[in-house]
Amino acid sequence: MVESGGDYPRSLIEPGAETALQRATKDMKRFAGWIMASPATLALVIFLILPVAATIGYTFTDPDGLIAPYIWYFESAFRRTVLWRTFEIAAITTIISLAVGVVTAYVVSKSPPWVKSILIVLAVFPLLTGVVVRSFAWMIILGRNGILNNFLQWIGITDAPIGMLYTQGAVIVAMVYLFVPLMILVLIGVLENIPDDVVQAASSLGANPTSTFMQVILPLATPGLIVGAVLVFTASFTSYATPHLLGGGQQMVMGTFLHQRAMVAFDWVGASTIAAIMVVITIATVLVMTRIARKLNPMAV
Amino acid sequence: MTTRINPALIGFTALVYVFLIGPLVIIFGAAISDTSYLTFPPQGLTLHWFENIWAISAFRRTIITSLQIAFLATTIALIIGIPAAYALNRYRVQLPGWLSTLFVLPILVPEIVMGFSLLRSVNVDSGVPIFFTLLIGHTLLVLPYVIRVISAALSSFDFSIEEAAISLGSRPAKTFFTIVLPNVRSGVIAAFILAFITSINDVSVSLFLTGPGISTLPIQILAHVEQFFDPTIASVSVLLMVLTVIVMIIVERTLGLTAVANTK
Amino acid sequence: MTLPLSINNITAHYGTTKVLEDLSLDIGEGELVSLLGASGCGKTTTLRLIAGFLQPTSGTIRLGDKDLTKLPAHARDIGLVFQNYALFPHLSVRDNVAFGLKQRGIAAAERNKRANAFLERVGLDHLADRLPAALSGGQKQRVALARALVIEPPLLMFDEPLSNLDAKLRVDMRVEIRKLQRANGTTSVYVTHDQEEAFSISDRVAIMNEGRIMQLDTPETLYQRPANAFVARFVGFENLIPMTVTARDGETVTASLSDGSTLKFSQDRFGAIDDKFVLATRADGLSVSSDPGAEGIAAKLGLRTYLGRAYQYECETVAGKLIANGALSNPLEPGATAKLVPVADQCTILKPE
Repeated sequence: MVESGGDYPRSLIEPGAETALQRATKDMKRFAGWIMASPATLALVIFLILPVAATIGYTFTDPDGLIAPYIWYFESAFRRTVLWRTFEIAAITTIISLAVGVVTAYVVSKSPPWVKSILIVLAVFPLLTGVVVRSFAWMIILGRNGILNNFLQWIGITDAPIGMLYTQGAVIVAMVYLFVPLMILVLIGVLENIPDDVVQAASSLGANPTSTFMQVILPLATPGLIVGAVLVFTASFTSYATPHLLGGGQQMVMGTFLHQRAMVAFDWVGASTIAAIMVVITIATVLVMTRIARKLNPMAV
Repeated sequence: MTTRINPALIGFTALVYVFLIGPLVIIFGAAISDTSYLTFPPQGLTLHWFENIWAISAFRRTIITSLQIAFLATTIALIIGIPAAYALNRYRVQLPGWLSTLFVLPILVPEIVMGFSLLRSVNVDSGVPIFFTLLIGHTLLVLPYVIRVISAALSSFDFSIEEAAISLGSRPAKTFFTIVLPNVRSGVIAAFILAFITSINDVSVSLFLTGPGISTLPIQILAHVEQFFDPTIASVSVLLMVLTVIVMIIVERTLGLTAVANTK
Repeated sequence: MTLPLSINNITAHYGTTKVLEDLSLDIGEGELVSLLGASGCGKTTTLRLIAGFLQPTSGTIRLGDKDLTKLPAHARDIGLVFQNYALFPHLSVRDNVAFGLKQRGIAAAERNKRANAFLERVGLDHLADRLPAALSGGQKQRVALARALVIEPPLLMFDEPLSNLDAKLRVDMRVEIRKLQRANGTTSVYVTHDQEEAFSISDRVAIMNEGRIMQLDTPETLYQRPANAFVARFVGFENLIPMTVTARDGETVTASLSDGSTLKFSQDRFGAIDDKFVLATRADGLSVSSDPGAEGIAAKLGLRTYLGRAYQYECETVAGKLIANGALSNPLEPGATAKLVPVADQCTILKPE
């Protein structure tokens, strides 16, 4: 950045009084802006905000009392377990994806250009493949006649197939598989935003690669890491297909529980309550964490 | 730059990529296996399971529905999303701040909650047919991607060239199509691809918005897996992957090549 | 502590492109040498090779009796000041300065003390607890300077350190850099594309072009006695006139232009003169004379511009277009014919290219 060389006197650029023409132009611009933004705005208000608000509002209309559906939800150990399990799976998935993502993104961002572009394409391709397809792949791997069981029996670790499908571990492995590419891509962006010369400054001052990583790169990447973590956490917390396919009925999470209440039990109050809890936790996580990320960002003062 | 990376980190990264790509290779293998249950490596090779997809009428119908919904939802999202992204970038000062927050909302609201709420309010309470509710759901699902990608393209667009065109006598509405759009064409293409693929692969929104006679391919796969654990599913998965790649290539070739031709 | 730097026959490539060719450079203890040239001339590459951010294809780099060539960047112990300051945005000003001391395992109390002392030297002790984002460009550059100096490196390097500052601050800062460098007596390499900056700050300047050093000399010599046409043009010699010797009479040499007109040169002044040479002058070194009998280069005058101290003319001659100055007392019109008389102490002679 070049140092700015003093401001022009304000009065030269902006005459004190707004002329009628300027006001008219401004009104016209505001009008044009609204016209162009209105179809999308209306669509979001009518088909997103109102329906979701209706769902949440519906939970407060129970004849048994204002918060009766929430009392119903939290008085059951089973339902509390579902919420906790969802939270646990999302948290573990986030932590593993973060650890794997940081290391991989670091190596990718340090690779020579042609290697880097191949590695990025290889990370994008799984992302473009659907959730169902990718979860299904893990059913083939973890099933009773799956590859892993065949392999374990072949090398003689076990005689009979081990039941790996429909466990919490299976859900977590598939979720990590789902979100690691996303994390890698987000973190490559974050790491490439760290200026080269800052990293070089560290090494010119005697910091070896490990110290440079710990004392310079990691602190500068932290706001980006938080953004990536929030993305993965909320997506895991609200997922349906993966826990449905790999967790089944034994590993009920909020998403599968919502579907079960609505479409199997036809309990719309219960389903709406689950939906409301998911919305609150998701939005709260995003708001709190982005605020923390902003606080930690040294570039903004 | 000659940066030396710790070989242990390189080894770890190689393992991560095996983890990322391996499962997709396994699906390919399973899809051409001639056993009637899912196994890998395949014992013998057959294309029978691909024929099976078309033979099962539920798959046939849902593939068509998925393509219809993805195409329509993406088109509608582009039609309403491009002007919105333009307004957000061009008239940022004139428009209230909450408007840009509004456009981020679909990302904050869990998709599954969005699907459930649309089922309650739009389909059940307002009587909108399920196909159109599904279409609305997918449009909302892809709208934020469209707005985000187009906004990114517009953020590097120099609006003074638009003013230059107007000062040379071009009408504002015409200027939008002759000056602004051609300059963000690559953004439009990227938005189309991203939106189409997101729609084709969606489960969470579609989950509640499918009913008798109307379903999407991913939902049909979920239903099929519960009853038959056979290689048909693997071959459908391969089909979806191939479809994804084909969409990318077709859009890039058609729109991409005309974009190049127009700039010449 | 300060050590001499010795670069021997360095060749370097970016991919398959050769960016430095057989470059050698010796910098004495405590000396400040600038690498000067347009972008792409190899000056930054040279600095990055010395710093260890690039590896040479061949050749060696020695600091004192230590061979740096194979050493990783963090083990080279070189103080580096970057163009964009490269301050750590997440660390306070004091922690930025103390960073290098921390890497050397110096305890917190001691390194803060030393960091404070250097911040005081650059006049920023009152900002020690701020983050870099809160500083102005000039203040950032002072922090960067303190950070490079505090590790007491045997070699300091500057990569266009002033190019992001405004003109006035640039002059102040280069004086300050020179004073600090003199006070510490640290051997220094200074990369810049700004001629005035390089000449004002350096003991010697290396003018670089296409990966080679064209001339390495004191600023005075470079300015008055460029060794070749490239350097002559670089330091502002507008007129390069090819001459052929026609007669030698003791110390006096007569040489002619392609139209046969002759000029006389004294070997006392110019040293031994080869049979073919190039006369190089700035506009100041060719005086426009309306006297048709004057010994000079016949010229047809073109556009006249007013410089304040003189008029400057574009002139058509047998040696092509030349730029010459004429007296204010005698303005001549475009189209007039005149003689361009070389001013001996404003001229130098070069080998033909």
